[in-house]
Amino acid sequence: MAGLTIGFLRRACETERTEHEVSPMPTLTINGQRVVAPEGATILEAARAAGIAIPTLCHHPDLSNVGACRMCVVTVEKARGLQTACTTPVAEGMVVHTHSADAVATRRFVLEMLLSDHPNACMTCEVNGACELQDLVYEYGVAWPQHKGSRHTYPVDPDPNPFIVIDRNKCILCGRCVRACAEIQNRDIWSFAFRGFETKLVAGADQPLLEAGCESCGQCVAYCPTGALFDRMSVGKGRIGQVTRVRTVCSYCGVGCQIDLHVRRDGGRGRIVRVTGAADAPVNGLALCVKGRYGYDYVHSPERLTRPLVRAKWLDPDELAQRVGDNRWSVIGDADKRRSPVTGHDSPISPDTFIAVDWDTALDVVARKLAAEKAAHGGDSFAMLASAKCTNEENFLFAKFARQLMTTNNIDHCARL
Amino acid sequence: MNRLKPIAVAAEALRAVTDPQHRWIAVCMGTGCSSAASAELRQALAAELAQHQQGVEVRRTGCFGFCAQGPIVVVYPDETFYTRVRPEDAAAIVVQHIVHGRPVEALLFREGPDKHPAPKWHDISFYRKQQRILLSNCGIIDPENIQHYLAREGYQALVKALDTMTPEQVIEEVTRSGLRGRGGGGFPAGVKWGLARQTPRWPKYVICNADEGDPGAFMDRSVLEGDPHSVIEGMIIAGYAIGAEQGFIYCRAEYPLAIKRLRTAIAQARELGLLGENILGSGFRFDITINEGAGAFVCGEETALMASIQGERGQPWPRPPYPVVAGLWGQPSNVNNVKTYAYVPRILRFGADWFRSLGTEGSAGTAVFALTGQVERTGLIEVPMGITLREIIFDIGGGIPGGKRFKAVQTGGPLGGCLPEAYLDTPVDFDSLRAAGAVMGSGGMIVADETTCMVEFARYFMRFVCDESCGKCPPCRIGSRRLLEILDRIAAGQGEPADIEAIHHLADGMQKGSLCALGQLAPAPVLSALRHFEEEFWAHIREQRCPTASCQKLVRAPCVSACPAGVDVPAYLALVAQGRYAEALAVHREANPFAAICGRVCPAFCEDVCKRGGVDDPIAIRHVKRFMADHEYTVPWTPPRLAPKKDIKVAIVGAGPCGLTAALRLAQLGYQVTVFERMPQPGGMMTYGIPAYRLPREVLFAEIEHIRRAGVEIRCNTELGRDITIKSLQADGYAAIVLALGAHRSRRLGVPGEDLPGVYHGVALLRDIALGKLPDLRGQVVVVVGGGDTAMDAARSAWRLGAQAVHVVYRRTRDEMPAIPEEVRGAEDEGVQFHFLVTPVAVLGQDRVTGVLLQRQRLGDFDKSGRRSPVPIPGSEFVMPCDLLVPAIGQVTWVDDEAVALSRQASFRVGKAFELGIPGVFAAGDAVTGPATVVQAVAHGNQVALVVDHWLKTGELGGVYYRPKRHDIPQLFNLDDYAEARRPAPRVLSPEERRHLPGFVEIELGYDERTIQEECKRCLRCDLEWLQRIGEPLP
Repeated sequence: MAGLTIGFLRRACETERTEHEVSPMPTLTINGQRVVAPEGATILEAARAAGIAIPTLCHHPDLSNVGACRMCVVTVEKARGLQTACTTPVAEGMVVHTHSADAVATRRFVLEMLLSDHPNACMTCEVNGACELQDLVYEYGVAWPQHKGSRHTYPVDPDPNPFIVIDRNKCILCGRCVRACAEIQNRDIWSFAFRGFETKLVAGADQPLLEAGCESCGQCVAYCPTGALFDRMSVGKGRIGQVTRVRTVCSYCGVGCQIDLHVRRDGGRGRIVRVTGAADAPVNGLALCVKGRYGYDYVHSPERLTRPLVRAKWLDPDELAQRVGDNRWSVIGDADKRRSPVTGHDSPISPDTFIAVDWDTALDVVARKLAAEKAAHGGDSFAMLASAKCTNEENFLFAKFARQLMTTNNIDHCARL
Repeated sequence: MNRLKPIAVAAEALRAVTDPQHRWIAVCMGTGCSSAASAELRQALAAELAQHQQGVEVRRTGCFGFCAQGPIVVVYPDETFYTRVRPEDAAAIVVQHIVHGRPVEALLFREGPDKHPAPKWHDISFYRKQQRILLSNCGIIDPENIQHYLAREGYQALVKALDTMTPEQVIEEVTRSGLRGRGGGGFPAGVKWGLARQTPRWPKYVICNADEGDPGAFMDRSVLEGDPHSVIEGMIIAGYAIGAEQGFIYCRAEYPLAIKRLRTAIAQARELGLLGENILGSGFRFDITINEGAGAFVCGEETALMASIQGERGQPWPRPPYPVVAGLWGQPSNVNNVKTYAYVPRILRFGADWFRSLGTEGSAGTAVFALTGQVERTGLIEVPMGITLREIIFDIGGGIPGGKRFKAVQTGGPLGGCLPEAYLDTPVDFDSLRAAGAVMGSGGMIVADETTCMVEFARYFMRFVCDESCGKCPPCRIGSRRLLEILDRIAAGQGEPADIEAIHHLADGMQKGSLCALGQLAPAPVLSALRHFEEEFWAHIREQRCPTASCQKLVRAPCVSACPAGVDVPAYLALVAQGRYAEALAVHREANPFAAICGRVCPAFCEDVCKRGGVDDPIAIRHVKRFMADHEYTVPWTPPRLAPKKDIKVAIVGAGPCGLTAALRLAQLGYQVTVFERMPQPGGMMTYGIPAYRLPREVLFAEIEHIRRAGVEIRCNTELGRDITIKSLQADGYAAIVLALGAHRSRRLGVPGEDLPGVYHGVALLRDIALGKLPDLRGQVVVVVGGGDTAMDAARSAWRLGAQAVHVVYRRTRDEMPAIPEEVRGAEDEGVQFHFLVTPVAVLGQDRVTGVLLQRQRLGDFDKSGRRSPVPIPGSEFVMPCDLLVPAIGQVTWVDDEAVALSRQASFRVGKAFELGIPGVFAAGDAVTGPATVVQAVAHGNQVALVVDHWLKTGELGGVYYRPKRHDIPQLFNLDDYAEARRPAPRVLSPEERRHLPGFVEIELGYDERTIQEECKRCLRCDLEWLQRIGEPLP
């Protein structure tokens, strides 16, 4: 049952019911506007489809609905009390008021309550400007609550996870992380422990994340509406107004997840400070794996290969001397050797020294050597391991290359291992 | 024709359970009695029976409900009801009762004023108004023997349903019966079943909610322990009706005995083919699984319960969709309470009309309550719907123990509401309770007496909710915490006026915004406490005072809280212990100027609550007061002036204790105060109501003289409405007028002949004596009517005037007499004869009184004052001859002044600031409260002075509160040395001495200096403990 929550089951059941009962699309009235919605849709879905805004905190379209945060409460005529728009199914003839006095007062009350147990730390918060709680507090004009009661004082960053920072003081217990982990990543690491005001978001049996089996995918961070969960590598690197988002495709594998690089430019030099999934991407949405989300630091590594390197012994000596001389190729290696003038005689270049060359030269070397090896030892002396980072088309070409050109079946793929 | 396989009932079981001649012994083995060793008792009984070769069955039964009196043993067929039976008593029961046929008197339950033993079960008033339908098998059958249940026609309803009814007919019958969900919601059970049946998805589930978590409630437990098969049968029928094949019983793990009996019952039912495949050959299949809950209160909420069954955290989910559409595992599920299912077999057996005939129009059937709290008889009761709260609390529960007054009853457990005295006649049913602002809930009923602080009461329930909130939605998770924090602060004296509004704001947000009933109903106890007892909250906030002296941080010492004037008792006791009498007296006078007077006549509320009284005897506080006042008698006191002299005139009308105190305080604040008094002497009731043998005149007038020394002018022989009027006082430039008129007009008896000569009202008698007009009563027979202090004073005065015989007639019993007990005892010592439960119906005589026609009374139901009201016994009239009839049944205020006539009934109705509705005119004292004590009048005087001062300065009414100063006096000796010390014996003149002394000589004698100092050292110094409690240094 791991990953199958009650919300999932109930949604599944409701779908099942639609199959049983052939009923027309119910028509309802929201704020005086006639809205037609599919059977089984929630009031929230119907309203948003019709362009009517209802605020939410615990709701996310990717996740099941739990009706916990009470922000989406609306007045439904003839129903007792307020109803949560995210869980109440539409019905024929239903009359909904999304901004009745009671609904608005309740939202304000909820925000007041949440603020009354929230640190007044927006000035230093990583998600300042990109916080759903902050936006709603602003929209509803809720004042900072003055009260003599208690606020939580959990330790900030208590977890050694290398990618995820936790500040439970900012947690509003909406449970989106819990559902993201369970329903998207199927890991069930997060849950709630204790009761009432002492309710606490915990990993496993209140353990460090990694001990609880977390694979650090960061889905929980992606779905957190506040700054309670954040990407450790991005702490202090730039807030929402300081970065530009650049849409690209993750280079780690062939799935093709779209990612937004959060690029910060200070004086012209751009730096990637954070990576997030792209909500509108058809493949992945907000979801990413640990590599796609957190494996971007190589981009700015000084050790990163940016040109093909060939050992000096595989290159033509004359060409080498000439090209190094006019700086079209460069010698990679010991600093002392590079400082010596390259004259041709008494060369500091040893046979194994790497030379940064142009792509044509490098590929020529590869082609020449593969052909030589095949001629000397036959095609089966060659084996090829293809990469999951490559697209299907590239992998197809690899196979074709191995089987037709190299005449061997020695080809495999890293994802099969 | 029954097509189903019949269920065989063993002949033995049939005889054991249905034979009216069968002799057997029932031993309650419910959780309550079991924990009081009823298992050992059962063994002991069996062993004794074997030894005496008595072939009598000892049967384990379910709960009788009277758990506080357990273990309970009932001997059948005579139904002799034994309480608090210990294993050692087994021999007596067997030898005396079983062998020799004589009930064991010592083990019978005793009740009533005469502690009369009640031999039989149904003679006990706890059971008399009960109607045991649901609990009809509890106390009869062995819950672990299915044969017993079968012999009581068990499973016949199932046979009937399967054999002769369609599922729709079953639902129709249950709907028609008017059965409403007994878990608290009150939703019609049949309608719910119908909805569950209509949902076209399978499988469906039948779920029994046995997660009974209300503190002090154990209705479901008793049913499960005493009659488990009734629940199982109800569930099978429900399964048949809605089309389910699987049932779940969700029972909290804290009920191990209930779970054990359920498991046994389920196994037995399976064995007989009542559960499982092809039940009774009908082709219908049904089985039941037990789920043990881990003790979360919220799991009693149906969606949280289902989440828990699914193995998830017990948190509710929003509805709709309702469980009947999408419940357990998303499937249609019917969730009902234990009791709801248990009613079903009875409804099918006896018919919907029978069930409808019980209870009320909207709430059919009976209700089961766990009656707890401050009530004489606690336990589990089953009553017809529509019975009043008063009947439950007073007739079944026996009223409030210890002679205390009823204050409130909380129905519906921690999510219900409290109802005060005015609501006692509310019928107990779903709709009436809801209309009154409380709820039926699952059936907890907690009674609070007058010593319960309603802030603390509300705080208790809010703390429970805080602990039990599941934490899912912010309104409940955070709102309940904020509410508790506010209540905590109010209880600690740190509340603010804005807190009341904040409570309403939080409550409103929680009610509207919370996900489930737990959060929505959580504010109800606080709101109902606020609605009915708002003044108590304000006392905590504005005055830092807990009116019932129970909030730990607000109660410096019980004696200080109990004193209406708030006199700093521990301080003056400590000062007297050190011989610092003048300082002690000064402390007293800050709050009460009449130390010598109160040292003689005060009922000493302080002594009633003295902590030392719980160890041995309370400190003789009144005597200490009397001693220190008498010790300083020769030193005239000039009250200190606390503010510069002002050119503002204030008039006080009435020179009683209230008027004089108000005059003193205003004079101390610099006002020019004149007191107008209609009688020739000042003092009011102190002079004209309290006889000199209790309060010598020189003591009285010496203390009144102190008031004059403060600069107060007292003008006697000046009557309002005759010599002065409100208008004339205003015309004379009095900026404020305080009416402290007292309550001097005697209530009339309202019987024929009461205007005959010889009818001499107690108030008039006492006044004439004080005026020196002593009637000669030698040789006369005097009958005094009434049971209060005036009646006692009148009777004892009559005795001093030489009456041949003095009779007091009172319509209730001694226990209900409002007079100070010492006075009653004093009267008795002097030979006054008391006649209880009689009331005059006519005064007899032609030209003057020759006698009085009395009628006997019996005590009936409890009235609004929480006392049993006298009910006349027709035909019991008799004549008591007398020469003088003295009615003393209470006094009212009376005044003839056009300005105030309209604002007055029997006493003045005033606002929070004692205002009368005429600017600048205030009323206080007995004229407002009705007849009270000197110290209560002094307290009013202090308060009205403060209010008048504030009004004169600012024009605002109210907002100021009298708060006596606190004095921290060090403890200079080792209290342990006084661990063994005892209160000195009272010293009064003997009746013989009194007879031989002339006139009205004081009869109570004081103590010497040494005795008093030693007595003061017995004080436990609660005030110092309080300093530690609030974290302040000791002096």
